[in-house]
Amino acid sequence: MIEQTLIGLAGAFFGTVGFAVLTRVPRRTLIPAGGIASLVYMVYLLLTLAGFSEYSAVFFGTLLGSVLGHFCARKTRVINTVFLMSAIVPVVPGLGLYRMMASLGQGQMAQGAAQGVRAMIVIAMTALGLILGSLSDRILHRQKQTPPR
Amino acid sequence: MNHDHPRSQTEKASLAEGSQINPMNREHPRPQGKTDWNDQEMEALQLAAQLILEHGGETFRAEETVRRMGEGFRLREVESFAVPSGLFISYRTAEGKLETSVRRVHKQDTDLTVVDQTNHISRAVAAGLTGPAEACRSLREIAALRREKNCWSFLLAAGVCAAGFTLLFQGGAREALVGALVAALTEGACMLFSRFHDSWIVSDIVGGFLTALLPALAARWLPGLGTEAVVAGALMPLVPGVAMTNAVQDGFRGDMVSGVSHGVSALMTAFMIAGGALLAQAVLRIVSEGGL
Repeated sequence: MIEQTLIGLAGAFFGTVGFAVLTRVPRRTLIPAGGIASLVYMVYLLLTLAGFSEYSAVFFGTLLGSVLGHFCARKTRVINTVFLMSAIVPVVPGLGLYRMMASLGQGQMAQGAAQGVRAMIVIAMTALGLILGSLSDRILHRQKQTPPR
Repeated sequence: MNHDHPRSQTEKASLAEGSQINPMNREHPRPQGKTDWNDQEMEALQLAAQLILEHGGETFRAEETVRRMGEGFRLREVESFAVPSGLFISYRTAEGKLETSVRRVHKQDTDLTVVDQTNHISRAVAAGLTGPAEACRSLREIAALRREKNCWSFLLAAGVCAAGFTLLFQGGAREALVGALVAALTEGACMLFSRFHDSWIVSDIVGGFLTALLPALAARWLPGLGTEAVVAGALMPLVPGVAMTNAVQDGFRGDMVSGVSHGVSALMTAFMIAGGALLAQAVLRIVSEGGL
């Protein structure tokens, strides 16, 4: 169990670092971006194990990633897109979308549609987590009069 | 010309630290001939917004950059309207003349380093550290240095990305290795296609096709291979992560035109990849039913 978790965290880290290289982010942001992705995945995993639904686990994971992403953007003076993207990549429902495609390809329309709807809800939760993270950052930093990054 | 700015010296210094601009260069004498000066101001605004939009930046960032730089140049009534495919800029000069420009933007490869560098220059301009001439020069340098893709690093990155996500989707070491190879081959094929065909749609369809086809072929030689984890992992480098983030960011700031545009772009990419993958499944079915 612990071994599987550690492998998952390492997978989220290296997977996101590879993804970040493909979008040509500044090199100094690779490690923080991977770190955020690992934390997001850890929150997702812990909440799922604690009995939360997949949707709320994705929401809280992305929320944390969004808050951390804005924080890192201010600290490193880099555009926040780099870190926000890293926050959503580990919870993108890649497996769900593949299963949807596979079902549709085999003519199992109802099963494919159900999997597609599940994947869409996960994407919606991801967007909601990002938005609420950005909102909290905006409220917090409006008071401090810090220019947005 | 007074170039004093309300920002504090500490803030100016910290902004300069983040940028590549020399903080000591705080004198920006207005060159002789107001036409040149105005041209440079407009060119700097256009270049900055264009570089951001071309390389995967959000439209709100392009608009904010124009506004911020306009304030830095002491322009009045600075207005900008950006959509992912173009931008409009207008401002009133010190002489009271209204300057307007329209520029069509054609999307290039995503390069967030270019967006970040442009952002730093705009902040240096806003802080009064850089004048129009220097900003133009720096932005032209960024545009000229528009980096060629280093093929090997991209193939390696795609491989690492796919291997990582294959492990995340509970694949084993063997699946991760196959996923890395599939993603690297797919990335290579997409890069090859993009040289001959400008449309990203073709690259996405080819990407989806190979990502679904190659693991199924590999499974014939490697019995017991977890194809599901391999395909899901190898699809990850194709995920439109930047478009998804931009859709949320633009939508959050109330720019629904750009938000919807980026969202549809992400959705189109996902559909094209899925289409390619379904095509591969159909090919595999025909081949297996044909007894090959």
